[in-house]
Amino acid sequence: MLFSIRKGYDPALPGAPRQSVEDAAPVGSAAILGADCPGLRPALAVATGDPVRRGQVLFTDRRHPAIAYVSPLTGVVEAIDFGPRRTLSAMVLRRTGQADPEDDGAGTPATPPTGDAREILLARGLWPAFLARPFGTVPAPDGSPVAILVSATDSNPLAPDPRIVLADQGPAFDRGLTVLAALTTGPVFVAQPPGAGLAAAAGGRIRAVEISGPHPAGLPGAQLYRLRPEIGPGEVWTIGYQDVTAIGHLFETGDYRSERVVALGGPRALNPRLVRTVMGASLRDLTAGEVAPGGRDGFARILSGSVLAGREAAWLGRHHHQVTVLDARPEARRLPLPWWLGRPGRGPRPLIASERLEGLLPFGIPPVPLMRALAVGDSETAERLGALDLVEEDVALLSCFCTSGADYGRLLRRVLDDLAEAA
Amino acid sequence: MNPLTLSASADAAPFLRSRWEPAEVTLAQAAALLPPLAVVLVAGGGPQALLLATSLAVTFFWETLFALLRGRAWSWHGVTTALVVAVMVPAGAPLWQLALALSLGVVLGELIFGGRGFGFLAAGVVALAFLRFSFAAIPFAGDSDAVAMATLPGAALLLYLRLISWRVALAAILSFAAASLAAGQPLDPAATGASLAFGLFFLICDPFGAASTNAGRWLYGALAGGLAVAFDTAPGAAVAPEAIVFAALLASIFAPLLDHAAVLVIARIRRRRHG
Repeated sequence: MLFSIRKGYDPALPGAPRQSVEDAAPVGSAAILGADCPGLRPALAVATGDPVRRGQVLFTDRRHPAIAYVSPLTGVVEAIDFGPRRTLSAMVLRRTGQADPEDDGAGTPATPPTGDAREILLARGLWPAFLARPFGTVPAPDGSPVAILVSATDSNPLAPDPRIVLADQGPAFDRGLTVLAALTTGPVFVAQPPGAGLAAAAGGRIRAVEISGPHPAGLPGAQLYRLRPEIGPGEVWTIGYQDVTAIGHLFETGDYRSERVVALGGPRALNPRLVRTVMGASLRDLTAGEVAPGGRDGFARILSGSVLAGREAAWLGRHHHQVTVLDARPEARRLPLPWWLGRPGRGPRPLIASERLEGLLPFGIPPVPLMRALAVGDSETAERLGALDLVEEDVALLSCFCTSGADYGRLLRRVLDDLAEAA
Repeated sequence: MNPLTLSASADAAPFLRSRWEPAEVTLAQAAALLPPLAVVLVAGGGPQALLLATSLAVTFFWETLFALLRGRAWSWHGVTTALVVAVMVPAGAPLWQLALALSLGVVLGELIFGGRGFGFLAAGVVALAFLRFSFAAIPFAGDSDAVAMATLPGAALLLYLRLISWRVALAAILSFAAASLAAGQPLDPAATGASLAFGLFFLICDPFGAASTNAGRWLYGALAGGLAVAFDTAPGAAVAPEAIVFAALLASIFAPLLDHAAVLVIARIRRRRHG
C-alpha cells in the first residue's frame, strides 16, 4: 500500500547529518524526564545515591502501578527532582564503571522473558514507548488499541533516515513487530519510505505501508489520517521504530537495550552525522566537542528534537531521534521608545488567513478555523474539526507560517487537556 | 526565496518562523497599491495629492489614538485603507466628507475589533460604502483603463505571495461572467475587465474581508461576482465601481457564514470517513 501525501512543507536547513551511524563519546549521565510523561507522579523504587543497573526499575506510575520506568544505564541515582504536586521533573542517573553502553549491563537477566507480552513490556520499562491517540499520552496498562502504528519514517528537518538506523537491526525489529501484534486484535502498520522493504514478509496482521511526501508525512498523525478509514474509530497506539527494535531485543535476549541512534545536526553542528548513544543522554556530554565556533560569544543552543517540534533541553527526550545545534539566542535589545509609540511589547498579532496555510495540514482539517478555535481555546469546535487526531508536532508548521506568532502546539495541548478532562 | 528562517529569538518550538509578520503584509499590500496610486496622482494632480494626504492623516490619527487607548504598539496597517480610498475617490470630493467616511470605515471596519486581522471586514470597503451611503453625490473612480493596467503588477505580486487568493479572484470572475450572461448584460473583456480590475483585486480579494477556508473562498468569490452584476447600474459593458464596493461589503458580511457552512460540511465528511 503506497500513500503519497501532497500537503506539507520541507524546510531547508543547513547542517544535514551524514547518514551513517558512528559511536558517540559515552555520556556521563542520563535522565528520565517528566516532560516526556506530563503529570506522572512516581512511586519511587530507588533513592538518591542508590546504585542501579541498566534495566532496573526506578519508579512506577502511582496512578497505574503496573507501568515501570527503568534505568537506561548502570550507575547511581544522582538526583530526583519533583515538579508541582509531586510530579516527576527529572531523575538523573550518573554512569559509573564501564563506559561502553553495551557492556555495562552485568547482572541483567540473560534469558529471554516468557509469559504475557503485555506484562513483560509493563514490568521491563518498555510500556512508556507507546503513545495512545487521541491525546498522545502513555496508554493505560489494560488498554486495547484497534491498531498499532510503527512509524519507520521521519520527515523532520535534519532527521535520521530510519532505513540506515534499522539496516542491521532487521531480526530484532521483526521480532518486536510480532510482540506488538500480541497487544491488539487489529492490524500493526509499519509505515516506511517507499522501497524500504521493512516487514515486507511478515504477513498476517503486520502490514507494510509506504509513505511519501513532505513533512509531516513522516509523522504518525498524517499516516494515521490516511489509515483511519481502514482502521475505523478507536484508540490507536503509536511507537517509534527504535523502540520496536528494543522490544525485539528484550524478547530475544532478555536484555533491556537503552541504545538510541540520534542525528546530530543543525547549523552549528561541527560534524553532522548519526551517533549511537543512550536514551535520556546528557546533551551536554553528547555535544561536547561537536559545536562549531561562531555566533555570539561562541554560545549555541542545543535542542532535543527538531527545530519544528523539539525543545531546548539538557537531556535527550524519550521520543526524540535527533539533536539540533543552533545559534544562541541574542540578548533582547530594548529600544528606548517615545511614549507616543505605545508601551514596549507588541500586543497580540493577527492571524492573516493566507492561502499558504491551506497546503500545510494533511489531516483533512481546514487550518484557519482550527487555528482560530485553538487560539481562543474553543475545544468543542476544535474537536469537531478533528483536533483529537492531532498532537503538538502535527501543527508545528502552522506555528511556523502564521503571522500571529502563536504556538499552536501549546494551544492544542491545552485544548486536548480540556477534552481529556471532559472525556 | 525560503519562506522560513531560523528564528533567533524563539524560546520554544518551532524555532523556524515565517518571515511574514503583519507589518510586512501591510508593506507588500502598500507596494502593490503604488502603481494605481501613481496613475491617479498623475491624472488628478494637486487636489488628488491633498486627498491622499488627508486620507493618510485620518487613518494614522485613528491608529495612533487606538494604540494609545489600548496601550499597544502603534501599527501602520491603515495606510492600505488610505491608499485604496485615495484611488477610488476622485479629486475634488469634499475632504471633510472623505475624513468622516474614512473615520467610520477605519474605526468600525477594524479598530473596534482590535485592529486589522481581528475583524471580518476590509476597512477600505467599509469606508467607501459609508461615503456612498452618506454623500451619494461623489462619483467613484478607479475604473479607468490606466488604473486597471497599473493594478496588474500589484495583483500579480499579491497572488505570488499568496496574500490574496486566486480562488476568490477566479470564482468572482467566473460568477461575474455567468451572471452577466444570465442577466443579458453585454460583456466586453476589455471594457468590463478594466472597470473590474482594481475593485476585484483590492476590494473583493482583500484577505481581511474574504473567507478563510478554500470552499468558503470559492463561495465568497462567486457571491461577490454575482452581487456585482446585481448591483450594477452602469450602462454598457463596464461595471460601476459602486457595485463592486457593495458586492465586496455584502460578500464580506456573509464570509463568516460561508466559512461556517464549509466547516460543517468538512466536519461531516470527516466523521463519515472516520466512522
